[in-house]
Amino acid sequence: MAAAPLAAQKLPLGANPEGKRLLIIQSHHDDHTWEFGFGGFIARLTRSGYEAWYVRTTNDEKDSGIGWGRGDQINHKESVEATRHLGIKEVISLNWRNDHMDSVPMNEVRAHYILLIRKLRPDVLMTWNPWGHYDRNPDHRKVARAAGEAAWMAGLANVHPEHLAAGLKPHRVPYVYYSQRSDYGRGQVPNIAIELSAEDVRRKEAAFHAHQNVRRGSPKDAMDKASRETGEQHGVRYAEVFYFRDEWSHLPGLAPLLEESVVKR
Amino acid sequence: MKLALVWVPLSILAAPLPKVDPPAGKRFLVIQPHHDDHTTDYGMGGLIARLTRMGYEGWFIRASNDEKDGAHGYPHNDMINLRESEAASRILGMKGVYSFNWRNDYMDPTPLLELRAQVILLIRKHRPDIVLGHDPWGHYDRNPDHRKVARACADAVWMAGLRNVHPEHFELGLEPWRVPHQFLKARVDYGRGHEANAAVELSEADVQRKMKAYSAHRNVYASPAMAKSVRAQLAAKGLKAPELDGMTDEQAAVRIEEWHMDWVSRQRGQENGVRYAEIYWYINEFAHLPGLESYIQKNAVKR
Amino acid sequence: MRLLILLILTLAAQARTVLVVTADASDFLLAAGGTIASMTARGDTAILLRVTNDEKNSWDLSPDETARRNGLECAEAAKLLGIGKVVSLGYREGELGGVSPTELRDRIMFYIRLHKPDVLFLPNPHAEYVEVLDRHYAGLAAEEASHTAALRNHQPPFAQVGLETHVTRELYYYAQPFDPRRREPESTATFVPQPKVSDIGAMLDRKIRAALALKTINHAVAMRIRDRLESTGRRLPLLDTVNDASVAKLTEINVRTLAGTGAKGTGFQSAEEFHYAGPDFGVPSKFRK
Repeated sequence: MAAAPLAAQKLPLGANPEGKRLLIIQSHHDDHTWEFGFGGFIARLTRSGYEAWYVRTTNDEKDSGIGWGRGDQINHKESVEATRHLGIKEVISLNWRNDHMDSVPMNEVRAHYILLIRKLRPDVLMTWNPWGHYDRNPDHRKVARAAGEAAWMAGLANVHPEHLAAGLKPHRVPYVYYSQRSDYGRGQVPNIAIELSAEDVRRKEAAFHAHQNVRRGSPKDAMDKASRETGEQHGVRYAEVFYFRDEWSHLPGLAPLLEESVVKR
Repeated sequence: MKLALVWVPLSILAAPLPKVDPPAGKRFLVIQPHHDDHTTDYGMGGLIARLTRMGYEGWFIRASNDEKDGAHGYPHNDMINLRESEAASRILGMKGVYSFNWRNDYMDPTPLLELRAQVILLIRKHRPDIVLGHDPWGHYDRNPDHRKVARACADAVWMAGLRNVHPEHFELGLEPWRVPHQFLKARVDYGRGHEANAAVELSEADVQRKMKAYSAHRNVYASPAMAKSVRAQLAAKGLKAPELDGMTDEQAAVRIEEWHMDWVSRQRGQENGVRYAEIYWYINEFAHLPGLESYIQKNAVKR
Repeated sequence: MRLLILLILTLAAQARTVLVVTADASDFLLAAGGTIASMTARGDTAILLRVTNDEKNSWDLSPDETARRNGLECAEAAKLLGIGKVVSLGYREGELGGVSPTELRDRIMFYIRLHKPDVLFLPNPHAEYVEVLDRHYAGLAAEEASHTAALRNHQPPFAQVGLETHVTRELYYYAQPFDPRRREPESTATFVPQPKVSDIGAMLDRKIRAALALKTINHAVAMRIRDRLESTGRRLPLLDTVNDASVAKLTEINVRTLAGTGAKGTGFQSAEEFHYAGPDFGVPSKFRK
């Protein structure tokens, strides 16, 4: 069963998932704003009333040539500024060592995420795709894996029951959007396109350029151009593409039943 | 089997340690996890000062990023602590500081072999006659960074001498180098702490520099609040320290820390029959050959 | 008489040993239960190697009680599929990411050398979008183990206790249908398992019966669906009352739908999908004929 090249296919346009709270878990200060990121979609959701939080998992010490401590400091500062353009409330930095996350224990990072998910109770999670191909960045891989697991494990009472003792309740994240570099090998094959307004793209552009430390010299319309190209492929003016996991995607045997038979109470 | 409580007479604990003079040589490396581990009160500032006074060249390797030591946020702590570490090392006459920047207090999951490879590379580059490090057998040390760095160094000092270990280094023109001498320290205030087998005598000038190097770490020591509380405690007893008169709390704090370092070095000296001293676990060049060590020492002759 | 003996001998010679590696109590069953049942039905001996203890998968039970019940129910389900023996390695569910991959591999390799299976079922570590990563880790370890079990230089002490090297001739990589590209052929035809579909029409009822034995997990699945719907102002009429009957119905729908998904586009009614490496595995295609 050979599939047609998926990149050429027009993807369905996704609606805003129902909800109020958005959690973005990424490895680095700028993972949410660049051309493979979520900038426009974040802007679209916060514009529609979503509250959003950004988790930076590493300390970005190696991103730029100005020394470790200074790199961490400036990148963090610019990340805070970028997220303001996108309407994100807060940047939570876990400060794991940049580019060394391979050796960080999976379960420890996951425990941090589970705690945050239970505290913030997001309806939507945006993170790296755990199944993205050819990503050579160990931080992306580790974060993707840990966040992918945390999204559902946070819903199990037997996982980290100590959190319940602190007054938190289990919470499974129903909607998950994955992003992935598409310039490495097979990258990820997206299954959904999200249409963006001109305002979403403007804010995404502003967020992108807020990262002056690493983006100095980028074309002024870098994000406009990228979003426009993606939009053209999918029949709208501006778009971003993702791999979307719906609330029932984890139950392939029951998803048809649930989509057919579920009714409003 | 009967259990017996064994009383160790105090006199044994207090028995003077053999006095060891640092061997002659050209270069030494100090390998520790944190910015201040080469200058603390149970540490090695005095020995470093003595070595540089002897004409040694020395470098300091900081393995962690010290992000959690201080109250200025992660990146700021890293930067300030590194800067102060460089200043302290300069005071002790050292050439420079390498920072590996592993995540502070999270070195348990740092891959041992990766850290060890970093140390081996620098050992081969500098070919030190002496390594000053942390005792891998120190008891009850609750700091994961100390344990990890100590283990990595314990391997690295001899493995750097093996041609089959990281042969890629030889492509750079480096050669195998086994470190002949080690002076190891560990905290003495944890449990059984550190057993020492050698006392190193320090001159007054060595202790002076050790005191200055220690208080160079302003970010974590010599806090004005400490000086304020010491003065308040003295005042409550109707006492005062005239030497601190006219000093700001900040200056007084530095002075108090210096007294402390002076006191510690004097104390170790007294225990070992000299004016000033530091104590170490010393491993000499043939200690790894217990069956041959004494034979070699007895029979080796000048060429 | 002579013919009968010959027949028995032939059958005996053909009876195979099947080792099934699973991360948890439900994955092997939902993804491969029908195919395993059809093998045991024809006389093969099957052994289940369950890597975790399933301590987390229940709706409202303590970890200890969850592990206890899931262990019993998994054994029951395995029996219904004709699996004669269950070995549980007892790793904590959800924690395989923190277990040394080599340790896990060596433990699976031990059982491969002990039972010398002709067929190995393993979670496909290359299947994407598998949410429960224990399956991914167990799959990686099992795949490596199938390889190292055949190599003399791996674990020399094993050989000293009589665990000789063993080549497993058939590998079935299984996964529930999460990966949208699961039916695409792999890029090279040799050394890489290729997609294969197995007809389970005759075994579907048995698979459903086995799935029903996983009461604790099925109940948890139902309650989580209901809870999610409730918290978003929705309901599923089937689950208005969650009891044995409604959970059983839900479970049956699950197994039937999975079988339908597996059969899609194949001409079968009910099927399971695998990546398969047969005896030809490792023989470059030009030499196979």
